[in-house]
Amino acid sequence: MLEKLEEVKKNIQSEIKSVTALKDAEQLKVKYLGRKGIIQDFMKLIPSLPAEQRAAIGQRINSLKTEVTNIVDELLKKFSGEITSKATHEIFDVTLPGKRPLVGKKHLITQTIDDIKEVFARLGFDVVYGPEVESEYYNFEALNIPADHPSRTDFDTFYIKNDVILRSQTSTVQIRVMEKQKPPIRIIAPGRVYRPDTVDARHSFMFHQVEGLLVDEGVSFADLRGVLNQFIKTYFGRDVQMRFRPSFFPFTEPSAEVDISCSLCKGKGCSVCSYSGWVEILGAGMVDPNVFKAVHYDVEKYTGFAFGMGVERITMLKYGINDIRLFYENDIRFLSQF
Amino acid sequence: MKISYNWLKEYVNFYLLPQELSDKLTNTGLVVADIQSVEDDFCIDVEVTSNRPDCLGVIGIAREVAAVVGASVQYPKTNYTSTDIEVSKLISIAVEEPILCPHYTARIVRHITVKPSPEWMQKRLKCIGLRPVNNIVDITNYVMMETGQPLHAFDLDKLSDKKIIVRRAKSGEEIVAINGARRALFHDMLVIADGKRPVAIAGIMGGKDTEVSESTRHILLECAQFEPRQVRRTSKATGIASDSSYRFERGIDPEGVELASKRAVKLINDYAEGEVAHGVNDIRSGRYEKKRITLRIERLNKVLGLEIKRDVASDILKRLQFNILNEVDTFIDVEVPSYRGEVYREIDLIEEVARIYGYNNIPTKTSISVRGSVKSKYEIVEDSVRHFLTGIGFYEAKTFSIVDTSPLQSVNLWSDRAGVDIANPLRQEESRLRTCLLPSLIRTRIYNMHHGVEQARIFEIAKVYLAGEKLPEEKTCLSILADIDFLTLKGIVESLLASLGITSKCEWMAFDGSILFKADKSAKIQLGNNILGYIGEVKELEFKTSPCMVELDLDLLVKMSNFSKYFQMLSQYPPVLRDLAIIVDEEVTWASIEKCILAANISFMTAINFFDIYYGKQIPSGKKSIAFNLCFQAFDRTLKSEEVDVAQQMILDSLYKTLGAELRKQ
Repeated sequence: MLEKLEEVKKNIQSEIKSVTALKDAEQLKVKYLGRKGIIQDFMKLIPSLPAEQRAAIGQRINSLKTEVTNIVDELLKKFSGEITSKATHEIFDVTLPGKRPLVGKKHLITQTIDDIKEVFARLGFDVVYGPEVESEYYNFEALNIPADHPSRTDFDTFYIKNDVILRSQTSTVQIRVMEKQKPPIRIIAPGRVYRPDTVDARHSFMFHQVEGLLVDEGVSFADLRGVLNQFIKTYFGRDVQMRFRPSFFPFTEPSAEVDISCSLCKGKGCSVCSYSGWVEILGAGMVDPNVFKAVHYDVEKYTGFAFGMGVERITMLKYGINDIRLFYENDIRFLSQF
Repeated sequence: MKISYNWLKEYVNFYLLPQELSDKLTNTGLVVADIQSVEDDFCIDVEVTSNRPDCLGVIGIAREVAAVVGASVQYPKTNYTSTDIEVSKLISIAVEEPILCPHYTARIVRHITVKPSPEWMQKRLKCIGLRPVNNIVDITNYVMMETGQPLHAFDLDKLSDKKIIVRRAKSGEEIVAINGARRALFHDMLVIADGKRPVAIAGIMGGKDTEVSESTRHILLECAQFEPRQVRRTSKATGIASDSSYRFERGIDPEGVELASKRAVKLINDYAEGEVAHGVNDIRSGRYEKKRITLRIERLNKVLGLEIKRDVASDILKRLQFNILNEVDTFIDVEVPSYRGEVYREIDLIEEVARIYGYNNIPTKTSISVRGSVKSKYEIVEDSVRHFLTGIGFYEAKTFSIVDTSPLQSVNLWSDRAGVDIANPLRQEESRLRTCLLPSLIRTRIYNMHHGVEQARIFEIAKVYLAGEKLPEEKTCLSILADIDFLTLKGIVESLLASLGITSKCEWMAFDGSILFKADKSAKIQLGNNILGYIGEVKELEFKTSPCMVELDLDLLVKMSNFSKYFQMLSQYPPVLRDLAIIVDEEVTWASIEKCILAANISFMTAINFFDIYYGKQIPSGKKSIAFNLCFQAFDRTLKSEEVDVAQQMILDSLYKTLGAELRKQ
């Protein structure tokens, strides 16, 4: 047995000399180390040996295996080409660029809507949606904008047929919610709105708004200020100032436009804020009693406030984007920036 | 509205620089958009909201300034001398439509001299962007800008039959307006006519024939009130808008006619010489009744969140020229000035108090009650989908809902109903609500290709609009387009469904491809009894790559999603894996093989994983080799090799019997 092992050892030494290619090395490996190889055959013989020899011969076989493995590995390395041999000598360059996985992004408009939703969710507002194609009633009459009223000029609208329109504001959702639900109500309604505006850097015939509505007993204008102040500080930053200006919306009374201090010039005046130090970000007010009447709410018992903001507008302000069209071109170079 | 700073000072005393004045106006609701210095004056551009027509005159703005600074308003002079001849002798007036024209007045000035207006007047008009014409036209403009009340001067000699009739237009009548526009007139339009023909479109614009010219000797000065909606409709119908129609549409001061008329006559008397005929020809239906409103102090404080006393509110209302009829600690009764038509309810008074008190002096309370908000299932699904897709490298796109009517954009996978068209589109490119999101994603892909983006993975969540009874059905869809192969996209859809907890299996059925997909590489996806969507390789030839895309019914995903989870035991025993390759007819689908394997009903089989399909030399023609592995694992024991062998044989038997599948020999 031991002699046979010695013989194998010798045979290998001579066979090595005839190895000239990777293929030969691989054949050598199969011949000696394979599942049906010579060494394996020796292993199979062990159980048939006398018990006192088994350990010693087993050891010899194992050492032979190690020896052959080393020889074969060396040969494999030698013939398997430059790459392997080079790599062992080269220093690994840790500054090579990493292999990045593909990463996508939510659209910036979605990100803004999500940010707004998050702030208001923490204040207990639920998110609701309404149809984009609407009866004129929900877009106008129920919101205290009668036909032929001059304020309709402020609300140019796409028509589908007679009294069916594309909503020009998300305020429609106020009515839809209040028709179905009694106070207390605390909702925000994000969505697409449409106005027949010619597209340019500042206008688009389609854009996004977020509407908010809170109705309960004892809700006041001071609460409106409080809630919007929370939103502004959270979304735009703690150091941003808020300013309310009287304004007019048919569906709120009193009505306000809300400005924030221009974050670009810190209120000193620049082109973004038209040198006023303030930029308008949303419209708001106390729900007009006529709106409550349209949904059969008790105007003495309940008060409420509503607000609406243009998503593109505040996104452009926050990120310094100068052209609204970028949002709809969906250039990946744009989308990947945010 | 543009106003002159110097002009404003004529009616109210204030000591504010233009910028300070602007800040004050802005904070009371008259936003100053711009201040321009014009010679020794300033032009202040004030944005007047549609509810405040009273501020469409300098006096109206002066009243606001007076309320803010606590001053009083000095109204302009209206004194002049008149001759003995009565206006009513010179012209007869008939108002046939008293509802559309509740008040009509005419005054006459004879033997005037038409010439340029005085320099100070021209300067003011120029300051606010008006072009001086002649003294008469300038004076009517000046007084309109001063009082907010439009006026019109006719050349008296050109009015036939010495008659003014306020009536509806007759069919066939037409007019050439001062701006040169010729317009056919219809019965629903109100006109000012003389004995023969219309000489003005009421409240909108006068006629060219009767306008004041160099040769005009006598004028009739019209100062009237027209019904706002009538003016608005006619202005829209004729396409003529003017400073006059702008004011009438919004509603003028019902008590303002007299001041404006007398003021204009005074200025004509002063600057065009002439003899003023005595009196006025004045037709008025009914009298204006001042509105009375009660303001409850408790309500005021409740709505605003303030704790102010009655005297503070009362002082503000007085400064705004509200007439206090009665006041006690708990309420104030007021009479509203005629020019504040929009104030007719208690809430309107509350706004007035808040405005002057200062919105920014109202506290910022954070006393709303605590309330937990809950995400709807829709929101959870939308968020999960976005999370999932962005996590595997997809960008979210947002494309327009309004598209063109090209065949590609008109594709409708969801319904055979017609598309929903816009009745008043701006352009053909945006004239129909889309019925499918995929064409927009194809365009987005092309756009990116043209901007050097080689590979893209995009998706959009948006609505498609399917014609309905009254309102269209709005279906929310999820569409995905990427430069990946069919099976990779299919796998994404499968993983997405799994991430939404949708465990029921989809059926993937061959589909004709429509205009969107390659016919031999597209499928309709069925989930239960509903169509979940359509998937396939893009047909569009413009691409160098072969992108695939899918449109799914997101509303259905919301309905089928299930986020309730319960822990499942993990087996403590080792799994046994068996690799198998079978040879089947080419037509045999993987779906049928899988179904067949499952039919063998091996309780401890835990997974079937397809890994290869092979056609080639060793496979007879018309056949294919399908390789897969099966995973066996029990929860209660280590599986014995023999029982797995038995199970494997049962599966192979089932495959052979049902599909004629043979085990492929190594």
